Amino acid sequence: MFIRSASRPFGRHLPRGVARGLVIALYTLYPIGCALQLVPDDNTASAALSITGLALVVAAIAAFVLLAGSSLQRQAQEEEAKLDERELAERNRAAYGAHAVFSGIVLLGVIYLMLSQDLVSSGKLSLWTPTAFEHWNALFWGFTMLALTLPAAFLAFQKSDPDLEPNE
Amino acid sequence: MVTYNRLSVFRAEQGMSRKELAEAVGVNPQTIGYLERGDYAPSVELALKLAAVFATPVEALFSLEPFPPLARAIAKQGES
Repeated sequence: MFIRSASRPFGRHLPRGVARGLVIALYTLYPIGCALQLVPDDNTASAALSITGLALVVAAIAAFVLLAGSSLQRQAQEEEAKLDERELAERNRAAYGAHAVFSGIVLLGVIYLMLSQDLVSSGKLSLWTPTAFEHWNALFWGFTMLALTLPAAFLAFQKSDPDLEPNE
Repeated sequence: MVTYNRLSVFRAEQGMSRKELAEAVGVNPQTIGYLERGDYAPSVELALKLAAVFATPVEALFSLEPFPPLARAIAKQGES
């Protein structure tokens, strides 16, 4: 998903440091925010945690929107005919890495769910598992944002800043 | 493997901007920047297109060995 604007058809150029910061913010604030937000609202302290969690999720979504309109996201999502050979080579490398990481995360998630079911049913240990709609909703949007931004995240970390001429 | 090039020298000599050169060979201007910096080695097709723009053999533009400094090359040419 690349948000193309009429004024910036090639996406907003983000300095690598900023792009890396946005990626780190997205991948850390969202899970922390969801964890805090899904704490049951049974007292004032947990209500405050819930509000803090919501604020972190909103910040993560803001980071996602900024990344979605960036030139990195364009490179990751643009149709092949509109990229040159360097952009395609970098994208292929990034897609390879993103696929490996995403597959690994999904595999670890499935192993965790399998073990937690086994341990819970045998009564040995109590591990958290998603049960309510809110839990699955948080996981769904988290994985969606991860899948959509992971190739761009790899690009942000594998590339150095281009030397831009004044008119570029 | 590192590929050395004289792209910036040729481009400066022709008074071309990166954008103009990029348009001439059909790539993103940033790609020219990465090429000049030696961060990206071009395909044979792109190398030949670049050489054609400057009407020079591809070996004059790209090399697997570092190019001698321009001053030394000119001095050597003056001696011979």
